[in-house]
Amino acid sequence: MKNDGCTPRACPSSEAPVAGATAERGAPLLQLGRRPPDRRAILGASVAAVAAAATGSGCGNHRFDAHYKELTDEDKRRIFERIEAETRARTGVDVKISAPQPMDGVEFAYALDLSLCNGNRRCAEACARENNLPDVPKFRYIQVLEMDRGTLDFENANAYYEHDEVPVPGKVYLPVQCQHCANPPCVKVCPVTATWREPDGLVVVDYNWCIGCRYCIAACPYFGRRFNFHEPTVRPRDINPDQGYISNRLRPVGVVEKCTFCLQRTRVGRYPACLEACPTGARKFGNLGDPNGEVRIMLERKRVYVLKEELGTLPRFYYFYG
Amino acid sequence: MSCKKTSPTWAVAAGLAWALGAAPGCDEHDRHAFPAPPASVAAETVTVEPRTQLLPTFPCSSRCHSARESQPDKRLLTEFHTFRNTEFHHGDPAGWCYQCHSQKNIDRLVIASGELVTFDEAYLLCGGCHGDKLRDWRLAVHGKTMGHWTGNKIRRSCTGCHNPHNPTFPHLVPEAPPVRPEHGERM
Ligand code: SF4
Ligand code: SF4
Repeated sequence: MKNDGCTPRACPSSEAPVAGATAERGAPLLQLGRRPPDRRAILGASVAAVAAAATGSGCGNHRFDAHYKELTDEDKRRIFERIEAETRARTGVDVKISAPQPMDGVEFAYALDLSLCNGNRRCAEACARENNLPDVPKFRYIQVLEMDRGTLDFENANAYYEHDEVPVPGKVYLPVQCQHCANPPCVKVCPVTATWREPDGLVVVDYNWCIGCRYCIAACPYFGRRFNFHEPTVRPRDINPDQGYISNRLRPVGVVEKCTFCLQRTRVGRYPACLEACPTGARKFGNLGDPNGEVRIMLERKRVYVLKEELGTLPRFYYFYG
Repeated sequence: MSCKKTSPTWAVAAGLAWALGAAPGCDEHDRHAFPAPPASVAAETVTVEPRTQLLPTFPCSSRCHSARESQPDKRLLTEFHTFRNTEFHHGDPAGWCYQCHSQKNIDRLVIASGELVTFDEAYLLCGGCHGDKLRDWRLAVHGKTMGHWTGNKIRRSCTGCHNPHNPTFPHLVPEAPPVRPEHGERM
């Protein structure tokens, strides 16, 4: 693992107090009441060596920043500039960190036409490039499940198929990614509120707040989340410089990450990268609040279903047959 | 265009009007227009991706066809379009070029009404048989929409994805699979 001489000890910025965090530092270790549980209390309670190991992953990891929701604009500016400078020093790439806000009256939803998907995985690769996913280890937010035609047998589905050509006769394909549940179990189990659902329906993770306990991975019924067991390595030429603080910025080791419906794109009006990459046009995205948007029209006119409906997770990802 | 429509502005790009040879009157324009949705999406603009400029041998008339007679009967093609002899798999096997291409003006397509349309408006021709798909495509439920979900949308035309002479979507080489999850994480 390359550290670029930027250990937490050597990295002055990781010690630099951030406004907003300063006030919290004097807070009692255990807090009762309705505030989000203080993650540092949990960190502090754990063995010091474990905490040291967790923070020892280079400068991308700032576990002593305040929670995203408590950051003031000034905090954000300062933190974003610091991350930009560190990324430049570490990778030589000039990136721009932003945090676009939810729009009023917008709730995002995704729809996917199963009659069109042919399993070519272009979506998963476009996602990897847009969201700075590592090629080593090569995990992907989008899994394309291959199943026998006539079944929706997830137990025997294969996400690791390798063929010369798709679609293979007799097979059907069903891509799964985070379903952005309106009642998300992953959010409920997080002991430190490092993951939450935004007003526009995007379920996001604060990478600086996540303690890497992986409860959320265990709770998600859709395998929507991935854990960085290793320092994620993205080749500098592959780095997407347009980065969102709670979406596609470079992640440190030891945190959970997931699909954010390309928050950094969709909150400024663009379509997600997977949709733009899909050669069959199977993917639809839009505002559930717009009665004339493509997702609402699809919901009203097509046979629609959601995965594991009986769990009551209320996915905002709809599958239909066009 | 003299014919004003309120919403949405279905701007068919690449000069639909001049391509038809004359500015269409209101009736003609309305017939080609998409159903007008309510005012809440007044800002929405859908541009159909133009195709003509991508055709390598366009204009067909000045490139080749001005120098030859059109042949109304089916035969084996022996010159430029020979690969169509084997490639063509669409609809009636007895079909012939002039079912869809205009015999009078080889730079245009001819739709069921006998009207000539440009290659940019091929969807009007396709919709003559595949009406259900044309309906869904106009609603963005079929086909590919790009641009911005907030309003400025770009809709790919039928022939942007389907080869009109062999419209079955081509098989593709899939991207490599991801690694299997570590440490007992399970799907
Ligand atoms: S799919 Fe999984 S990760 Fe995504 S919101 Fe639902 S429970 Fe959470
Ligand atoms: S691993 Fe998941 S549950 Fe644990 S802190 Fe991070 S986001 Fe929360």
